[in-house]
This record gives sequence, structure tokens and C-alpha cells, in this order.
Amino acid sequence: MIAIQDLTFTYKNGKTPALQDICLSVPSGGFLGIIGPAGAGKTTLLRAITGVIPHHYTGDFYGSVHVNGMDTVDTSLDRLSGITGMVFQDVESQIIFPTVEDEILYGLENFGVPREEIPLRISEALHKVGIPDLLERSIASLSGGQRQKVAIASILALKPQVLVLDEPTGELDPGSSRQIFTILKELNEEGVTIVLVEQKIMLLCEFAKDLAVLDGGHVVLQGETRKVLTQVEKLQSVGVNCPRVTTLSHLLTERIGRQQPVCVNLDEAERMVRGLMK
Amino acid sequence: MIRFEDVSFAYPDQGSSIRDLSFELERGEFAAVIGANGAGKSTTVRLADGLLRPSSGRVLIDGEDTRNSQVSARARKVGFLFQNPDRQICKNTVREEILFGLRTVRSEEGESALQARAERILAEFSFTGDEEPFALSRGQRQRVALASIFAAEPEVLILDEPTTGLDYRECCHIMDQIRRMNEERQVTVMMVCHDMEVVLDYASKALVMAGGRLLAAGPVREVFRNRELMEKASVLPPQVISLGLRLGDGYETADTPEAMAEAVLAHRKKEGASDE
Repeated sequence: MIAIQDLTFTYKNGKTPALQDICLSVPSGGFLGIIGPAGAGKTTLLRAITGVIPHHYTGDFYGSVHVNGMDTVDTSLDRLSGITGMVFQDVESQIIFPTVEDEILYGLENFGVPREEIPLRISEALHKVGIPDLLERSIASLSGGQRQKVAIASILALKPQVLVLDEPTGELDPGSSRQIFTILKELNEEGVTIVLVEQKIMLLCEFAKDLAVLDGGHVVLQGETRKVLTQVEKLQSVGVNCPRVTTLSHLLTERIGRQQPVCVNLDEAERMVRGLMK
Repeated sequence: MIRFEDVSFAYPDQGSSIRDLSFELERGEFAAVIGANGAGKSTTVRLADGLLRPSSGRVLIDGEDTRNSQVSARARKVGFLFQNPDRQICKNTVREEILFGLRTVRSEEGESALQARAERILAEFSFTGDEEPFALSRGQRQRVALASIFAAEPEVLILDEPTTGLDYRECCHIMDQIRRMNEERQVTVMMVCHDMEVVLDYASKALVMAGGRLLAAGPVREVFRNRELMEKASVLPPQVISLGLRLGDGYETADTPEAMAEAVLAHRKKEGASDE
């Protein structure tokens, strides 16, 4: 679905490459989580996947990015955006209309969705993020979390094959963040490929099938989530802290001298400890 | 230091968002305000800062009613760190940014004293002073905002989600600096925070809110171990505490992975398991 080959990108006027020698692939139906410290190149990588790099943000672009078999350099942004939808980190810069309905309508009209299909698309999208009652509300009256959900709904309404999200739960409380990740999981199970940057490590580890850890423009670790989580020292060296139940797995492995399962959530940790108590 | 007496507050056209809120924070306390989105947390800290004034009831800062106190007097006493540092940074260099705040709230000290203060705080925060705030990362910008607040030596520090959008390292950096200020200078801290691991690591008291009301106030660990309360407030307790509650059997007291691992090993030893 997404294939990145030896990608090196330097923003115009940039002194050093924002991304260097990136090789990464996400299969159709994949769920890739990207994590890393500030300035690691996470947002730049998302931009390269959506095609806004190099079409909108120009610079020196080496290597290739293919989405659905199309080379992003040779394909127009119009066509690419029919496949990939992106939710920005800063929702304020994504939302431009005064009401929820208009905001979602805007994208649908731009994409030429038939008029009779529009009400259903809007209502489906709002239901998916759990805010059907906000349809007629003004954006100004919404909380930060509600705005984030509107931004996600407006992209979901377009039914993208690939959904790219830059810290989508940044403004949300833990309950709502989990709700968003659950929605993403459902979409993923329906076949939507998900790529997201997230700092909330607990959610990332629990929901993402694969992880890529970025630091200084390089991918320093990538692979199946649990495998990546076994690289404790490497993760710590780039300032990524494992979920605490994962740390518990590592501690018990070390102290008992026998490999324990790498736990990413409470259920798994409970099972592990109960197993050790028998 | 901060005292709410039957405080209610309503935004225009929106019905009441805070109802009958009463609590008190002593000098030097580190309190976290927790609850789901829309619980009234941000409104509460804005009331504590005097940015908002109660519709009824009183908010007292160091004994003074926020409705009667002057903004300038309050600004000396209370520092407010917004969630988004870009809402409070307005100068082109870090040094100018820090001096800007100082000149506003400590003008009587004279320019050379203020400059000396600014240099001290720059050193404490490891800034040269010549950095351009908007060329820095979000975490560093948050530290610039924090540095300008610290420079004025407030007695109360109010934080609205100070770690949002920061990576783990930046988060620790900011929170350690806040803790130092709390411990060394007895600054009273009131913090809205969604990350319960951060609340567990740094705060000593939790104010639990839901639907504009205060559900409970108490020591952080006690609050997190109160399942009913956590459910009512839609708060997920920190992972290890949740795990301890599920396991029961003495594991409830563990609050860190290390403590939990110790508890597991002790249990196995008692049962005669042979661990290396």
C-alpha cells in the first residue's frame, strides 16, 4: 500500500535533511504507529506519505514514495488526496468553517460526492467519532477534544483508503483518546490503512500493529510492535518510554531469569502476573 | 493559599459550567485537577487565577478575593502556564521574553536588578538568552514560557495541561523543573493534566471533577485506588495501580513497575518458586 524507498528529504532553505535514507513499507490494512522525540522528522514523514511533500512543501527529494502503486512525485496531489486523508496536528488550522455541518460538507462537495449521498456520509462520520449530536453546533462552542473529533469526522466522511493522522489525540482526555483509537481500530478492521504519529505510548503500543521509531531524521527501529518494545535500551536512548506494564514485563524477565511475554495492556499484564503466582 | 468557597460560574448563554465548588490548597501543595473533557477543569484553574470571576461564591488567593484584587497584584502572586506556549510568547529572543514579564510585574526593582534576575533564570533553564523562541521545539517553547513565569517568583503556579504535545523527555524536563520550584520554594501548584502517570509521579493531591462539580479531593494514590470514584469521573487510573487493583491480594499498594515486580517476587518466594 505504502512503499518508501531510500527517502531523503531536505526542506527548501533547510540546512540538514529532515529525513534520511528512510525505507519503510505499510501493507494494505496495516496500522503503523510512529514515535520519536521532537524534531525527529515524524510530521515530515507523514507529509511525504500524503504527497504534500514534494507537491506543496518543496525541497531536495531523493528516493521514492509509492502509495497504492503510484509514485507520489509523478501523481497529482488531487489524485493522491482521493486515496489518502490526513488529520493535522493542529486542528485549528484544519477547521475553516463556523459550523460542524459546513466543515464536513466542504470536503464532500470538493470531492464531488453526489448530493443525495451527502447527508448519510455526514451522519455516518459523526456517529463513528461519537458526536452525532454536534451536527448543528458552531465550532466556536466546542471544546478542543470535540474539535479534534470534528476534524477526524470530516476526513472519515471522504472514505479514504489510507488515513494519516498527526497526534490525533493531542487535545483529548484519556477516555476520549481511547475512543479515537478504538474507532481507528474499527476502520482498520474494515480495511483502512492507518499511519499515525502519537506520543501517547500506551495507546500506540496497544493498538498499532507495527511501530517505527524516528530520531534525527532516521528510522532507528521498526517492526512488529512487541518486537520493537523489547529494545528497551534503544528506546530509552531516543527518549521513548515504554508503557509501565511493558516495563514490568522487562523487569520480571530480568529478575526471574526467564522470558516473560511483552505486555502492552492491563489484560496481558494481569495474565502474566497471575501465571507467575501459580 | 487557594480557597474556593461555594463557587459557581456560568459562561454567557451556556448554563452553569461550575457548581458549588469548595476546596482549599495549602501553601506548597502540588495538586492535580483531573476529570474528563468538559468536567470544568480549565474553568476552575482560570477561576483560581482570576482570569474568570465567579458568578457566585468567592475565590481567595492568599486571603484576597479575586474580585477585589488588582490584576497587577495578582500577576505577581500567580503564574499561569497555558497549554499552548505560543499563546503567551510575544518577543523575539528568550532574554527579551523573560524581561518582558519581569518589567510588567516587577517594575519597581529597576532595570539592572531585572536584568540580573533574567540572567539567573536563563542559566537555571540552560538558555543563552539569544535563542529565537519560535525557532525552538514546542517543548523548549514551553520551557521559555515557564522560565518567564518563574522569573517573577510567583507563590502560586497554575498549569493547564503543561505536557500536552511534548515527547517524554521534554515532559520530564518541564515537570522536574516545576517540582523543583514546588519543593525548594514552596510554590503552590495547581495543574490540569490528562496524563495520569504524570499526575502519579508529580502531584500529591488530586481534585476530581465531573460535570462542573468536585467529586472528591484527596491524596493522589487514595483517589486512584477508589474505583467507584474513578468510574464516575471517567478517569483511567495509572497502569500499575489499575493492575494492582485487579490482582488484589496485597498488590494494591504497588504504584510503580519496580514495586509491582518486587511484590511478585516476594509472593513467589513465599510460595517457594525458584527464581534466579
